[in-house]
Amino acid sequence: MRVTPGMTADNALYNLQQGRALMDSLQEQVASGLQVNKPSDDPLTARQILDLQHQIAQGKQYTSNIMKGSTLLNVTNTALNGISSIMTEIKKIAADNVSGNGTQAERDAVGDSLDALKKQLIDMGNTEYGGQYVFGGYQNDQPPFNSDGSFNGSEDELSIEVAQGARVPVTLKGGEPLRGTGGGIDILAEIENLKTAITLDPPDTAGISGQINTMGAAADQVTFGLIKVANSLVRMNSANSLVTNNQNTLLNVYESKQNVDYAKAGVELTKLQTAFQAALASTAKISQLSLLDYI
Amino acid sequence: MGIGNIFDIAASGIAAQRLALEVTGENIANVNTPGYSRQQVNMVSKLSINTGGVQMGTGVQVNAVLRSYDNMLQQQVVAGNSSYQENLTRQTSLEQIQPSFNELNADGLGSAVSGFFGAWQDLSVNPQGVAERQALLSKSAIMVDNFHQMNASLSDVATNADNDLTGIAADITASARNLALVNSQILATQAVGGNANEIMDQRDLLVRDLAENAGITWSLQSDGTATVSLVGLGALVSGTQSATVYTEVNGTKNDVKISALGAAQDPGDAALASQATGIGGRLGGTIAVRDFIVPGYLASLDSMAQQLVTAVNGQHALGSDLQGNPGGAFFSGTTSADIGLDPGLDSNKVAASLGGGVGDNTNALAIAAIQSSNLSFTTPSGTTVSTSTERFYNSLSSTVGIDVQGAQRSTAQGNAFLKQMNSLRNSHSGVSLDEELTNLIKYQQAFQGASKVINTATNMLDTILNMVR
Repeated sequence: MRVTPGMTADNALYNLQQGRALMDSLQEQVASGLQVNKPSDDPLTARQILDLQHQIAQGKQYTSNIMKGSTLLNVTNTALNGISSIMTEIKKIAADNVSGNGTQAERDAVGDSLDALKKQLIDMGNTEYGGQYVFGGYQNDQPPFNSDGSFNGSEDELSIEVAQGARVPVTLKGGEPLRGTGGGIDILAEIENLKTAITLDPPDTAGISGQINTMGAAADQVTFGLIKVANSLVRMNSANSLVTNNQNTLLNVYESKQNVDYAKAGVELTKLQTAFQAALASTAKISQLSLLDYI
Repeated sequence: MGIGNIFDIAASGIAAQRLALEVTGENIANVNTPGYSRQQVNMVSKLSINTGGVQMGTGVQVNAVLRSYDNMLQQQVVAGNSSYQENLTRQTSLEQIQPSFNELNADGLGSAVSGFFGAWQDLSVNPQGVAERQALLSKSAIMVDNFHQMNASLSDVATNADNDLTGIAADITASARNLALVNSQILATQAVGGNANEIMDQRDLLVRDLAENAGITWSLQSDGTATVSLVGLGALVSGTQSATVYTEVNGTKNDVKISALGAAQDPGDAALASQATGIGGRLGGTIAVRDFIVPGYLASLDSMAQQLVTAVNGQHALGSDLQGNPGGAFFSGTTSADIGLDPGLDSNKVAASLGGGVGDNTNALAIAAIQSSNLSFTTPSGTTVSTSTERFYNSLSSTVGIDVQGAQRSTAQGNAFLKQMNSLRNSHSGVSLDEELTNLIKYQQAFQGASKVINTATNMLDTILNMVR
């Protein structure tokens, strides 16, 4: 085959271009730290990486949901604990007054302290976090309990997503623990009944002893609310560790697919550099050879 | 047979070697001329004559200056040029499209969609929150902006391709005119028995240029002229006549049309159908980008916008807003170009509830669930797939990647093939300086030899003349 200087020049250019293109793509990887910089670098891996990115983003969203939901549950928990201790106090008052002894004035004072405790219960029932009244159900933008104890909220529980399709309630069903929705005890009304029984002249001792039982059941109702909240918190915690584990796994896979192994890239780059320098040197030498130098 | 014959023989040698030196000079001068084929001098000995029973030669003559030329290679290079340029055009456009779909190192539509559904999740935790509602509106606006940006960058690529057609058509017309001119020069040169080597090189170069711009079928006539027709359009050059290729606005696009041979543009001229197969060259690549590649991606993007609008609006309408009114439209529009937030929408009108309570998050949850529910999307190739929005978008960007990679590979292969063909052509027709320099010495020495013969013959003649004196 005849070899002409034009061929030598074309070949040299072509091969130098190939070498440069290889070094360029490797340099892009090293500079960005990413194995796949464009979908065309490796379309199928690119798709997997995008799916991983998407799942990781979803995981972050669920983590954020869990954080916010747990906060709401903890606020509810605190309020219920407060309600629970007030209930203990009310039970004690009821037990202390079961005999109906004491003057009318003394019993009226007991009635006043029951009023004060009822107000505290209403305040607890109006517990708010970031503008959300936790016992308001779906009507949670205004205090659910009026000062007379009537209820403005709704009997719904707010659920949020903690994993795809998995919903966990982050509130109780509106005023459930205080109002005993669906067959429970309306605590505020029963306190009013207790107060009436104590302050009657003469006191309604049978009524008072009946109310002691009612208040015991009412305290159980609050405790039941606490248990429900605790259950939700447990679910939140397990969802959180699930999501965190999942995130770690996804991140590991993502990094193994996308992060550049610098040692490998460095060795590769050195190899390419050596080859490219050799190509440059030989091109420069061969291009200069000519019979003209000798005639 | 006298001494005079020696002079004749030597003179023929001097003339032949001088001509060979001229051709060598021409080769050296054209070592870098594109399309030049090296020329060789074909020397033959003159007829011999019978002198006193001995056959004696009468010198040398140059019977032709030949052009090193391989028509097979020319055919290959022409075909290779067409497909290489077609793929290169596709690759260039696809590489312009790819960055819009690249979410590997930057955020784009995919993360905007994630952000949109994430904002619904946030809203579901605090359905009445003003901050959450505002965040939802701004995330929605970001997603809408991303749709618009992608639509604009895709449409730009199609518009640029459409504009390019005018330039390509003008290039084809110019090359065709030049080829018709070269054809007429070949005819004129051959009519006076001249040597048309350089003009034929021009002819071959023009055919290669034409093949870069469009797929052609071509043949060489016995008179040395080239006949060319364009795939999908018809006769372009025949003999000394050429047709005009031009673009004509038809609606929002340009039609590529061709006039009859040697005729002016006419409204009845044939237009190129974009479905025509094997259009090839820059023309074919540009039309593929404008009529198939970009519309395919746009259709996918539009189906994404349309499905999101339908699904979100449908669920949104089932809910009620902060005032307890039924949810209105959330998005307006149906395509990636005209999708927008409904003009009547504000943060109070986001319908997060199903029952009407401000703290009801059930509709927000339902809309957030659209993220992972399967919708029906159109792929760039026109098939319908049922998958989630983000998975569809991820596979769409993967499809773009595959298309870019495919075009890059075809271009690289075409380039390697062309390089190989050009090497072969160069090996066959290219000028080698070393060879020409060797020839230079060879012919120079032959020239000196022939001169020496004349010198010797002169001395012989002098000797004879001195004998007489």
